[in-house]
Amino acid sequence: MHRISRRAFLAAAPALLGSCGKRNRIRLALNWKPDPQFGGFYAAPYQKHGLEVDILPGGAGTPTVQMIGAGSAEFGIVSADELVLARSRGNDVVAVFAVFQNCPQGIMAHASRHLASIGDVLQEGTLAIQRGLPFARLLEKKYGFEHVKVVPSPGGDISAFLRDEWFAQQCFVMSEPLQARHAGVDVTVFPVADIGYNPYTTVLAASGAQISRDAGLVKSMVSAVREGWRSYLDNSKPTNTRMHERNPSMDLATFEEVAQAQKPFIDTRETAQAGLGVMTAERWKTLITQLAELGDVPQAFPAQDCFRNF
Amino acid sequence: MKKILPPLIPFVAVTVLVEALVRGGFVPSYLVPAPSAVLRALMDNRAELATAMGKTSAAAFLGFALSTLAGIGTAIALSSSRAIQRSLYPYAVFFQTVPIIAIAPLLVIWFGYGMQTVIACAFIVSIFPVIANTLTGLLSTDPALRDLFRLYGASPGVTLVKLRFPAALPQILTGLRVASGLAVIGAVVGEFIGGEGLGSVVDVARTQQRVDKVFAAVLLASVLGLALFGLINLISALTLRHWHASEQA
Amino acid sequence: MADSTSVPATARSVALRLEGVRRAFGGLVVIEHLDLQIEAGEFLAVLGPSGCGKSTLLRMIAGLAPPDEGRMIAEPERPQAAFVFQDAHLLPWRTALNNAALPLELMGASREERHAKARAALDQVGLADAESRYPAQLSGGMRMRVSLARALVTEPRLLLMDEPFAALDEITRFHLEVQLRDLWHRRGMTVIFVTHSISEAAFLANRAVVLTRRKGHIKLDRRFDLPAIRRNELRSDPRLGREMGMLMDAMEEE
Repeated sequence: MHRISRRAFLAAAPALLGSCGKRNRIRLALNWKPDPQFGGFYAAPYQKHGLEVDILPGGAGTPTVQMIGAGSAEFGIVSADELVLARSRGNDVVAVFAVFQNCPQGIMAHASRHLASIGDVLQEGTLAIQRGLPFARLLEKKYGFEHVKVVPSPGGDISAFLRDEWFAQQCFVMSEPLQARHAGVDVTVFPVADIGYNPYTTVLAASGAQISRDAGLVKSMVSAVREGWRSYLDNSKPTNTRMHERNPSMDLATFEEVAQAQKPFIDTRETAQAGLGVMTAERWKTLITQLAELGDVPQAFPAQDCFRNF
Repeated sequence: MKKILPPLIPFVAVTVLVEALVRGGFVPSYLVPAPSAVLRALMDNRAELATAMGKTSAAAFLGFALSTLAGIGTAIALSSSRAIQRSLYPYAVFFQTVPIIAIAPLLVIWFGYGMQTVIACAFIVSIFPVIANTLTGLLSTDPALRDLFRLYGASPGVTLVKLRFPAALPQILTGLRVASGLAVIGAVVGEFIGGEGLGSVVDVARTQQRVDKVFAAVLLASVLGLALFGLINLISALTLRHWHASEQA
Repeated sequence: MADSTSVPATARSVALRLEGVRRAFGGLVVIEHLDLQIEAGEFLAVLGPSGCGKSTLLRMIAGLAPPDEGRMIAEPERPQAAFVFQDAHLLPWRTALNNAALPLELMGASREERHAKARAALDQVGLADAESRYPAQLSGGMRMRVSLARALVTEPRLLLMDEPFAALDEITRFHLEVQLRDLWHRRGMTVIFVTHSISEAAFLANRAVVLTRRKGHIKLDRRFDLPAIRRNELRSDPRLGREMGMLMDAMEEE
């Protein structure tokens, strides 16, 4: 063996090993069971971008934002408001891709109640909502919860809703309402945007340390995810089959329906121009102002540190 | 003082250590709150936590009382005949194995949102140790003493009340000790799903990423468990002090 | 001279006749065919090696286990028997007084009556000042005496004892044996005393039967040639030794 090539080999070895490390297992922690809101992540061509990605399904209460902070997942799905809160607690999490440009959360009620606005829901009956969420607290601040019985959100389970006409619950506007209609109950849906609250939702995030250490990796991840979402938007069927295997609680037909219904929240005028998942400082600033109103963060909280477009 | 000091020392040591680790930045405060932060959360939210603790205490205590009565009653029935025991005991084991977090939503459907569901959760989670321990106790009666009772013509009822039940008391109290802590756990789990009480405080605080408040609520739940446990120990001391090795010297 | 303190059947004692009694456990025949006559007021010792069926016999006589075949006839009538076990078997959550009173309580006696009789019984076994103590606070010998008091509290016509003193130290045993013999002498009930110990059998009883190792046949049935009053001095008396020798021969032969 030539001396030069041997030395060259030894010199190149660390870099070679390093690039082997690039193919390290990356863990992506979801904050719910596999369903259409994560379609693009399941459809993404990770290997093409040099990545081995392990998708970890979640459920009620999966602490994705803490998992990123603690290093038990390299990437996680969070909501924009919980990311801001986490940052205010000293957890350096940064958003890199926003699936839902507009927040698909809302409240659904039986259509038979003939309610006109979101405030009407709070006049009587029961409301199942995650009380700690900023939008719930904004609702409480605006309308008060004196007249409605507030109970914990049943997390996607609509059985209590179906049985009780006076039961309203938080939902993703293109998911639970569809299931209710299938079960024969007509619903009125009030998007949370009605009270002017519209944070990015189903946001891919990584730790600031991760981005500093290996921005290239994050860029590859975002590229793969962007392609995944484009392909899922074009044809969701094969990915839905894969996700349905991991989450049989929703049938395949509903998977399809929801995948179609969620498109307008994902693919908007902004994304047509700047690409899927893109975020603006404007939107983050608005969110911070609203959270400051609730007293969760100081008014001057820096919006630009919360996200980075790749 | 002799009784309180030994367990107090490790508690103080750990508290000081954690405080140092968090303040020094070795452990991020959004993962583990400093004990001082937990204390502050306790003080700042004392009204809310007090109300919540009251609700959880009531539910846990009632659930525990129900499982004590039903558990002992079931064990008495099971101990009365081998046939009954063999056919029904496996179903009692079901209470041990059923994952409460899976059936709690079902309980909400059956009983609705409110304290009754929380009590039901506490009951389901805590009843099995009572049944199992009481049954063992009732089946372990000294055969010679059973002969003695038979010799003097005692009916099964009299034998149960005057012999088998008192003899089983140490074992029953063991079962109650285990069940007391479980009743608190059951109540808190029920509250995650059904709302109100310390479980609800934990759930809401968690959503708000207020780890300090979460720990404060959890601490209070532990105190509740300890109080129930202490109550059983007191009963044990009073009833067993003359005759059982466990309460002597 | 043969001991003639056997008391005729009265309100205080009972005579028993066992005819063709048989008891088996599964395939094992413990007592094959036993005929035995016990006179009223007799103090009978039953001896034999382990597994010869003596405890089984006692339990059958007590009515706790029925024979598979044969019959047991009691005269004048079936008595309420009293039983003393090898261990005191007291109820640990009751005082000595309430333990001694237990049989009367089970038979429905009033509180005053059973407490009065229990006190008297405890006094008879020398435990008058221990009545409020719990079993955990009593020595082994004292617990056995409470057990004895419990047996005597109903003034039984038939007293059955299954190696009651086996677990006690020798000195305590000697005292209790003397005490038991005295009690029997004063009350005149029929006593059947199962024991392993030849010296104990000879010291306590008027008559002894030795059972065979297998199948529970009677190898020896001997009325002792001993005085009616038994005191510790008798233990060094050659007459006792002679009776013991006979028993030992019978026990060793197998």
